[in-house]
Amino acid sequence: MPPLKDAQLGAFTFFASALPHDVCGSNGLPLTPNSIKILGRFQILKTSVHPRLCQYVDIARGKHERLVVVAEHYEKSVQDLLRETKPVSSSKILHLAYEALQGLEYMNCHRMVHRALAPQNILLDGEGHVKLSKFGLYHITDHGADVDFPIGYPSYLAPEVIAKGILKPTDPTQYERPLPSGPKSDIWSLGVILFELCMGRKLFQRLDISEKLKLILTLGCVDDIVTVLAEEHGCVDVIKGLPETTLALLRKCLTFHPSKRPTAGDLLHDSVFSEISSLYVPFRQPASLFSSTLRCADLILPEDISLLCNDVDSDFLEERSIEEVYYLWCLAGGDLEKELMSKGIILSKPPVCTLPNFLLEDGESFGQGRDRSFLLDDTTVTLSLCQLRNRLKDVPGEAFYPLLGEDQSSVPHSGSNSELSTSALPLIIRERDTEYQLNRIVLFDRLIKAYPYKKNLIWKEARVDIPPLLRGLTWAALLGVEGAIQEKYDATDKDTPIPTDRQIEVDIPRCHQYDELLSSPEGHAKFRRVLKAWVVSHPNLVYWQGLDSLCAPFLYLNFNNEALAYACMSAFIPKYLYNFFLKDNSHVIQEYLTVFSQMIAFHDPELSNHLNEIGFIPDLYAIPWFLTMFTHVFPLHKIFHLWDTLLLGNASFPFCIGVAILQQLRVRLLANGFNECILLFSDLPEIDIERCVRESINLFCWTPKSATYRQHAQTLKQATGGDNGRSNTTFTSDYEELSKTDLSREPIKLSELKSEASPRISAEDLIDLCELSMSSHPKAQSKKSKCNKPKLLVVDIRNSEDFNRGHIPGSINLPFGSTFTTEGELAQCPTSAMLQNFKGKVVVVVGHAAKNAAEFAANLVKLGYPRVCILDGGINKMKLTGLLTVPSPQI
Amino acid sequence: MKPGKGKVRYTERDFVYTFQAGSQSFVLTVPLQFPVQENLDHLHGRLMLLHDLPCFIEQDLKKSLCQFVDEETIKDFDREAEQALDLLKSSTIDVDHLVNAWKKSYTETTLEHAQPEEPNRDEDFADIYHDLIHSPASETLLNLEHNYFVSISELLGERDVEMKKLQERQGAEMDKVMQELGKSLSDQDVNSVASQHFESQQDLENKWITELKQLSTIQKQEYQEWVIKLHQDLKNPNNSFISEEIKVQPSRHQESVDENRPTYEEHRQLEESFTIHLGAQLKTMHNLRLLRADMLDFCKHKRNHRSGVKLHRLQTALSLYSTSLCGLVLLVDNRINSYSGIKRDFATVCQECTDFHFPQLQEQLDVVQQVVLYARAQRNHKAKHQYESANGNEVRGDKVKNTERNHSNLLPGEFYVTRHSNLSEIHVVFHLCVDDNMRSGNISARDPAIMGLRNILKVCCTHDITTINIPLLLVHEMSEEMTIPWCSKRAELVFKCVKGFMMEMVSWDGGVSRTVQFLVPQNISEEMFFQLSNMLPQIFRVSSTLTLTSKR
Repeated sequence: MPPLKDAQLGAFTFFASALPHDVCGSNGLPLTPNSIKILGRFQILKTSVHPRLCQYVDIARGKHERLVVVAEHYEKSVQDLLRETKPVSSSKILHLAYEALQGLEYMNCHRMVHRALAPQNILLDGEGHVKLSKFGLYHITDHGADVDFPIGYPSYLAPEVIAKGILKPTDPTQYERPLPSGPKSDIWSLGVILFELCMGRKLFQRLDISEKLKLILTLGCVDDIVTVLAEEHGCVDVIKGLPETTLALLRKCLTFHPSKRPTAGDLLHDSVFSEISSLYVPFRQPASLFSSTLRCADLILPEDISLLCNDVDSDFLEERSIEEVYYLWCLAGGDLEKELMSKGIILSKPPVCTLPNFLLEDGESFGQGRDRSFLLDDTTVTLSLCQLRNRLKDVPGEAFYPLLGEDQSSVPHSGSNSELSTSALPLIIRERDTEYQLNRIVLFDRLIKAYPYKKNLIWKEARVDIPPLLRGLTWAALLGVEGAIQEKYDATDKDTPIPTDRQIEVDIPRCHQYDELLSSPEGHAKFRRVLKAWVVSHPNLVYWQGLDSLCAPFLYLNFNNEALAYACMSAFIPKYLYNFFLKDNSHVIQEYLTVFSQMIAFHDPELSNHLNEIGFIPDLYAIPWFLTMFTHVFPLHKIFHLWDTLLLGNASFPFCIGVAILQQLRVRLLANGFNECILLFSDLPEIDIERCVRESINLFCWTPKSATYRQHAQTLKQATGGDNGRSNTTFTSDYEELSKTDLSREPIKLSELKSEASPRISAEDLIDLCELSMSSHPKAQSKKSKCNKPKLLVVDIRNSEDFNRGHIPGSINLPFGSTFTTEGELAQCPTSAMLQNFKGKVVVVVGHAAKNAAEFAANLVKLGYPRVCILDGGINKMKLTGLLTVPSPQI
Repeated sequence: MKPGKGKVRYTERDFVYTFQAGSQSFVLTVPLQFPVQENLDHLHGRLMLLHDLPCFIEQDLKKSLCQFVDEETIKDFDREAEQALDLLKSSTIDVDHLVNAWKKSYTETTLEHAQPEEPNRDEDFADIYHDLIHSPASETLLNLEHNYFVSISELLGERDVEMKKLQERQGAEMDKVMQELGKSLSDQDVNSVASQHFESQQDLENKWITELKQLSTIQKQEYQEWVIKLHQDLKNPNNSFISEEIKVQPSRHQESVDENRPTYEEHRQLEESFTIHLGAQLKTMHNLRLLRADMLDFCKHKRNHRSGVKLHRLQTALSLYSTSLCGLVLLVDNRINSYSGIKRDFATVCQECTDFHFPQLQEQLDVVQQVVLYARAQRNHKAKHQYESANGNEVRGDKVKNTERNHSNLLPGEFYVTRHSNLSEIHVVFHLCVDDNMRSGNISARDPAIMGLRNILKVCCTHDITTINIPLLLVHEMSEEMTIPWCSKRAELVFKCVKGFMMEMVSWDGGVSRTVQFLVPQNISEEMFFQLSNMLPQIFRVSSTLTLTSKR
């Protein structure tokens, strides 16, 4: 989005038409409210960036189908030129006409028609250039069908628009919809405006609406519209005195028959503009972040670099994009409705005064007077930025231009103490803090502009938090999306019917429909396309229910960029849900759930014992959790916070989230039996997501990396040369991504995995955790994790002779046969006392074979020992390393 | 296709593209539907893929495809526009009719062209009152209201005394007459005495009604004038605050009234509150309350606790013109009056205090009656229209049925709305029409009364009524056939339906938090009450209690 510069933020409001009471759509679901339809269609306007158009920023839904649109705004308009009641110079008129036509042409290219062109909607910026406003109204209201009021102003309606009448279906079934107004109707309106400018006052001032319209329609019978209009308004002399070019332009615009009237494109290349067209450089859309073209292609640095920074005391806020300024305005306490109310645009009657008297059984109401406050008043109100500027007055200029140093150096934060103290506050508060968000947005904006070069820094900063405004792009960066995504998406066939269509069609109207964007018809269409593109482009995978939920956050964040949503989803699924969408995914899911239940046992043996006892296995509840990465269970705003962290973690992080969720419900689960638990999970209670994230990170730190090993996980792609920065903590790298050695874990059969209550860990991990020195494995030293290394106890369950022949340093010996009593309690002995002292720490059971160790571990879990795991491959693996010690004979 | 919007007329045209590959020349023909709905970039990608086109024509194909579509679309627009103009020229469409339709549309929907608003006294008063009640003057206002209330109560007290006296006198007289019956007086004489008594009772009653009406009209007028004056005074800080502090008059009748009260105390008011969450992913929080109380308890002013009254009054007064109103569902029969049953009781309660803002109940009912007649006329008109256009016989049966019954009466499921400023906790009363069917055990979720309930909740959404009281069993009085199974069956139905409607409401208003109070009649047993309060959390998802202690 372009920078704010001298523009202001403006807001105007209108009502969408109310739906007829109790009508259902063809699919049996309730109709989508018109305001939501409009909201969905509006989104694309945000991408209409052109110097002659006012940038649209946001749309908000209020009560009772009210909509408030926020857009770039200027106080001055062509209306003001007309107020001066003297003719405007014809060279200025030509310039204005040319600029307006530029805007119209851009709109036509995007298949949009203005329809409401009028002097008050042609704004003038500080330098007197044209900015068209309210140009999207006709588009977002489905050509006027979703609002009660007619779009356009009587004096400026083109004759064919009037002739078509008002498009209101009286009987929806027998009604064939005519085409909406064409782009040429805007040319007529422009002609009328130009005529007014030439004349210096408004046309048809003294006529009422019907007379105006009638007059416009009768202009078809006259030869020379311009002359007739001039005669009508007694200004023949003025018109006659106009230069030839202006007159020609007027005649061309005010052509009665649309087929003979030129389009905006035609006019721009017309000879009337031959003199001035060379003054304008054609506008080129700047390349977007993920495009195949060179982003810096148009970048020209001046010879003297210092020229760039000569305006020291300029307002830094003006250099930020309109979208950012609006976002900050909202954070600084801006309230659209209040703003409009204070200007008297929103008038509301107390609801008690507008109650109906009587309602029929089918819901039709009677006795309700027409409420005047529902009438259209499309005055644009300027949103004052004073409060925001006031709020930001202490923010130093450096904060707007942070320097991005090398990876290791800390990113400079503005030195103010207030900001530092903010960063310690909870996320919810940080997200609502104006200064903090300004800093974060500026920083991330820069970092993302430097993507992929500054990828490592993005990772680093994302660990602090991600500013909501830039979440979509940041996620894409975290997922490593690169390349010509738009071209790739365009080339995917999203239209040809496929067998999955039916299922997709059923699922979409049930997916996160509380959200306005995703429940709009526009949202549904986008959903359909992205999902189909994914299904078509992954022939080995299939659509499973849940993919729709998985798509939702990406689509929501990149609503105007389907290609990016698709690319993010395509990058996310192999990372976290590798092979989950196979046609036969049972082996993948079974393994996943088994590892999950081992993780429950590892972290919370008491809960695990209870759940196993009542037979409440993960298969009953956790499949939708993992298959949709929790998008099916949480609302979008919680998913965002969860995924902000999830995307930083590796493929085994979801296990920790799962355990964290269970732990939040711990008390209730422990107190309840099978039926109650099923009921509880059928409609999951509120989960405190910040706590959930915090706890899952904690759980993750306690989990040895190899404990979540899955043989069906995505295996390493060798080409990781570029991401050396990623492996600087254990947090982000996948266990499966590390190269395999003979000390790594080996795949075991599913049945075997299922029989074990506790996870296995690899010898490598054990060595790493015990901090045993091992020169042959340089990797062990290079990885110093930031999280506290878990304290660990190795329990050797071989008999004591074997133990004495060689064991892992620091391990204790509890022979398998004699440790447990027949009741399953620990037998009293010095070593078992030591084990008890270590309760809470990681306990690694080491034996000859896996079987005994598994049984031993299961017994420990039953006794409530947390963090019990088994050494994969037993002591034999360790023997190879030469790290075993023989105890010195006791003296 | 979007429903209710009509179909777009499509025409198919072929896009022809020729290109050279080496010495060969190829022709690509694509049938396209106009107006083109799909994204051209996507279409282009699909064409490339489908026909295995060589990449060197990619850009050129895109360009010519866009050009083709643009040109054809412009042609379509032109053709249709010319058609519309031609129709006008050939006078197929009447110019005046067309132009007037435009004019009507502008005047009805835009502020710029709308008729200027005539000043509305009621609304101005609403604004003034809303300002005042949210100012320090609210105390004075409430005191004034209370004083008026006291004088009404006094009048009512006098009336009751006089009526009682009359009745006593008449009783004594009647006794005397009865003793003489068969001796000196005949049946006819007794009858004439009785009718005489009745007449004088009527006369007295009418006299009091007129008096009461007069008093409240005077009060209302005085009050409104006073409020407006006070507002003007407050606006002019130069003027000294002339309104003298108004002191609360002690009510002389307070004690006597209090003695009459304890009848209600026999049944202890039982209540239980729940906080619930609705929705699968995004959850909205609402409050539910189950109460054993009389419907009209929310309307009556409780005189015994003086400070409590004032607080209630203040709360109700503060929110009167706000966006959080309180509503009540009253079940009525099919006639719009206040002669019998709960309607009569309600009317009595309404009289206890003057309504300073809205017309008196009877006036409101008269308006409703008019509106009902109008609505019926509209409906008949529409039905006739449909009948004529459909020309089928199936409409006739319905019509005949319609004409048979009295037009001024209500049908089950219909309801009318009255507004009140003089009730203790309620602003809006929904009078929902139900029939004797309510007593039977087997009503379904499709029952008119349930649909009426849904419409009530919908009105709550559109008019910001955030608290609503609903009779849970859809009856006001218990009777013998209402056994325990009957009660639980009915309660389950209403709970489930209301839950469904509340979920729907979230989509209507975006999940405003509401309070729904379910009322059960006074004479229900405690045991039954607890059974119902156990049922509620099984149907609604009760939010988990917030644990403040740490996890372990």
